[in-house]
Amino acid sequence: MTAPPSQSDLEAYLDEALPPDEMARLEKALRKDHELLRRLSAINTRRSAGAHSLGEIWRGGRMSCPSREQLGSFLLGALPDEAADYVGFHLEVIGCRYCLANIADLKNQQAERCEDVQTRRRRYFQTSAGYLRSNK
Amino acid sequence: MSVPSQSDSLLISRIRRGEAGAWNELIGRFEGRLLAYIESRVQDRATAEDVVQETFIGFLTSLPNYDRRRPLEGYLFSIAAHKLTDFLRRRQRRPTIPLDSQNSGQGGWQGDGKARPASSIVRSGERRGLERAAIAAALAQQIDHWRRRGQWAKLKCAELLFVRGRPNKEVARRLKISEQTVANHKHEFLVKVRAAVRRQGLPEEVFPELYQGEQR
Repeated sequence: MTAPPSQSDLEAYLDEALPPDEMARLEKALRKDHELLRRLSAINTRRSAGAHSLGEIWRGGRMSCPSREQLGSFLLGALPDEAADYVGFHLEVIGCRYCLANIADLKNQQAERCEDVQTRRRRYFQTSAGYLRSNK
Repeated sequence: MSVPSQSDSLLISRIRRGEAGAWNELIGRFEGRLLAYIESRVQDRATAEDVVQETFIGFLTSLPNYDRRRPLEGYLFSIAAHKLTDFLRRRQRRPTIPLDSQNSGQGGWQGDGKARPASSIVRSGERRGLERAAIAAALAQQIDHWRRRGQWAKLKCAELLFVRGRPNKEVARRLKISEQTVANHKHEFLVKVRAAVRRQGLPEEVFPELYQGEQR
């Protein structure tokens, strides 16, 4: 890692919201860097005391995330240039985990065999439906 | 800003009534993105599918507490993040992060600079939620304003500064603008968020970064 992680990056790490390669790098660094661990502990303490950060609110509320429809249009190259440029920035530079997951899913939908998807969904349903109950 | 859609609200109502078809529909709608989110970290399809399965069970068991004003996708991602964190801790890939022992005593967290410790104000979870919601609304308004006016550079600048915590110099280099322009965008943005804090009567000390380096 070239520069020490920012406070916002450490907050995103705790929320499992950094891009996967950066999460892995931080995890590796945490094994020997006690100062990093101390900084993460301080964030937990600050959070438990009730302080907010703009980054947490922005990320958690997905304030600037494009909609799934816009991500689909981005993949099809159907967004206006400036909007497409922003979506590219949000994915590649910001590395939004949630939008990256949506993009990967949209791409997989075209590539995956329908049979495999149905099998997987059936398994999710069968293992969870027992918890379904009326709780109006 | 991500807001709950009407179709999500209807789906939740049907699931709350115990409709199996609605539950199947929710699985079909969201499992792919949850799987992609988790698989990007665990790099193993079978393991990722197990964590998605735990996420869906977690969703159903927490459904009585689900606030329907919260976007469904965001809620599912937050459950997935918890399940993934638990899984990685069990595999000893993620350490357990304790509270800071130097600051978690009676004095609580000490904010930077002039900020008063947030723990000195007793606030309920509901109050904290209202604070978050008020700032989220102010951010949404500002982001919408930039988008409608095509001020993408300001949006990118704020996102790099506050979501990724990048220093002004790096933001200027990435966006190919001067450091002075970055500083101006930052100042303008902070002034608007501080105004929202004042307007809503929120305690300034729970938003320490808004007042860092400020003389009050």
